[in-house]
Amino acid sequence: MSDMIELNEPVEDGHLVRDEIRRISKSVHARRVTTSRVMMVLCGVALLIAAVPLVMLIAELIKNGLPVLNKAFFTSEPQTPTLIAPNATGGVSNAIVGSLALTVYASVLAIPLGVLVGVFLSESSSKMASTLRVIAQTMAGAPSILMGLFAFSFIVHDLNIGFSALAGSFALAVLMMPVIIITTEIAVRNVPNSLREAGLALGARSHKVSLRIVLPSALSGIVTGVILAISRAVGETAPVLLVIGGGFINQWRPLDPVSSLPLSIFENAKSQWPSQRAQVWGVALVLVAFVFVMSLTARIWASRKQQVRN
Amino acid sequence: MALIPTDLHVRDEAVTEINSVTADRTWYHYVLLGGAVLFGIISLGFVGTIFWSSLPTWVHHGWTLLTGKGWSSPSGPFGGLAMIVGTFETSIIALILAVLIGLGTSISIVFLLPRRIRNIVATLVELLAAVPSVVYGLWGLLVLSPWMTVTVNPWLNSWPFAKFLFGNPGQEFGTSLLLASIVLGIMILPTFVAVSREVIAVVPQDLIEASLSLGATRWQVIREVVLPTAKVGLFGATFLALARATGETVAVALVAGGVADAQFHLLYPGTSIAAWIALTFGESQGNEISALMALGVLLMLLNFGLSMISRALVNRQRRILAIV
Repeated sequence: MSDMIELNEPVEDGHLVRDEIRRISKSVHARRVTTSRVMMVLCGVALLIAAVPLVMLIAELIKNGLPVLNKAFFTSEPQTPTLIAPNATGGVSNAIVGSLALTVYASVLAIPLGVLVGVFLSESSSKMASTLRVIAQTMAGAPSILMGLFAFSFIVHDLNIGFSALAGSFALAVLMMPVIIITTEIAVRNVPNSLREAGLALGARSHKVSLRIVLPSALSGIVTGVILAISRAVGETAPVLLVIGGGFINQWRPLDPVSSLPLSIFENAKSQWPSQRAQVWGVALVLVAFVFVMSLTARIWASRKQQVRN
Repeated sequence: MALIPTDLHVRDEAVTEINSVTADRTWYHYVLLGGAVLFGIISLGFVGTIFWSSLPTWVHHGWTLLTGKGWSSPSGPFGGLAMIVGTFETSIIALILAVLIGLGTSISIVFLLPRRIRNIVATLVELLAAVPSVVYGLWGLLVLSPWMTVTVNPWLNSWPFAKFLFGNPGQEFGTSLLLASIVLGIMILPTFVAVSREVIAVVPQDLIEASLSLGATRWQVIREVVLPTAKVGLFGATFLALARATGETVAVALVAGGVADAQFHLLYPGTSIAAWIALTFGESQGNEISALMALGVLLMLLNFGLSMISRALVNRQRRILAIV
């Protein structure tokens, strides 16, 4: 009934009500638009704030790192500065050799097994496969210091091998394996089913299909994962800190202690000698440059693969 | 802390399982199975060895490790309260920073940036995640720490009631829990952004267009449609970032100060579980190693729990979107 009453209202009142509604809606609209603008600007500011550390970090790395890079930095072994020669830091060749050795050994341990498990996960839907998948995902996010504890108790202590490159590369291999497993599984699963079925339809046996058709198609994805895993392992300090022992000489024998680039940063960052603190920036620059090149390669590789498929 | 592609990218379509379709079991199948079994043994060994080495501590001083305040090398007692408190303190402050900034970043990547720039920014986020944590630690120690001591700390101390939050002024040493939290926040930001961007980007376009057509402004669409739809996945991203923050080691070891003292003043030095293991392991023997392994067990339980929650949430988000 109330509608009827409104309809019977005088015309002038109707005008008043309509104007009032217009006024309110205009102010509400203005408020909504202003809120929207303010919030979107705030989001943009957040993006800028997020970019600040990256820019600052790279600027500091280049500013402090480039001046200390010279031939001796790469080729000579480190020295401890003394009061007589406070700038005699030597180079970091021991750390470069050590990092290379650790990475190579860890890759040898991790890549074959990681790829095998990844292919297994993609080609099986058993209870075991899904359990292993969860384990791999959990281990991929596990704190890296735990790999160090594992390598210490198992290799250094239980097997009594002592502080060695082998223990460090074992820790790094445990760290790399989940990454390789996950990326391999994704790469193999992304191979179109039609390829598998075509192979089977031609009468190829299952391992032939897998080895000759599926794996070659998934190769670029697998390589991307391996590169990611290596670039992560090279930069890790915590797992190797506990088990590789360190040392000042260039050495790559698996059973002896080695040094590594991240470890030398960690040990010299709080050095009392300004010359050593300056040199640390050079090591950091080399490390970051290496990791960036690896990540970008992996990314370009992955995107090129997608373009080919499209 | 490099980013690992999550299973978000896996195709939903079922893969033809060659072996089960053909029931054709060759040597190849057994090699794959052998690899899987070996990986299973390694991961069991991973958990088992650390737990086994920590057993003496749990049997003899279980409660001391959880509630004791002092850590005296080399013979004990080994109290882990300071490290546990420090871990939670630094991770939660870092998480607040990372979520506030990261959410804005993800929203602007998805809704403000043109497509071309969006890919570049995504690459930059990935690079930020790829920087080794020791480099963040170095930067925090040699660049951020002096700046904080000169500029930020005096300002913070001038706040009302600053004493309760930050401790007495003039007691700072350059490295502090607050510095560690900020460095941690920067480090977990890419992790949070990578997942939350993904979660926000897959909110169905229909929903967004429907609410735009009803006259909603851009912010209203985000607040009323996008964020509620993506809520579960965003919590997943948050837990993942928290898991990363609790496990971060060397950066915290460099910038937190490395003092085992259970307290809440943010400008005093402190430590976290992972950082304490890294700092003290080198000089420890016998019982102390076992106690550090026990701290490792705590860290492992915390991290595995958090990442399990995170994975469950991200999976639930995916199911929610499948229904929408």
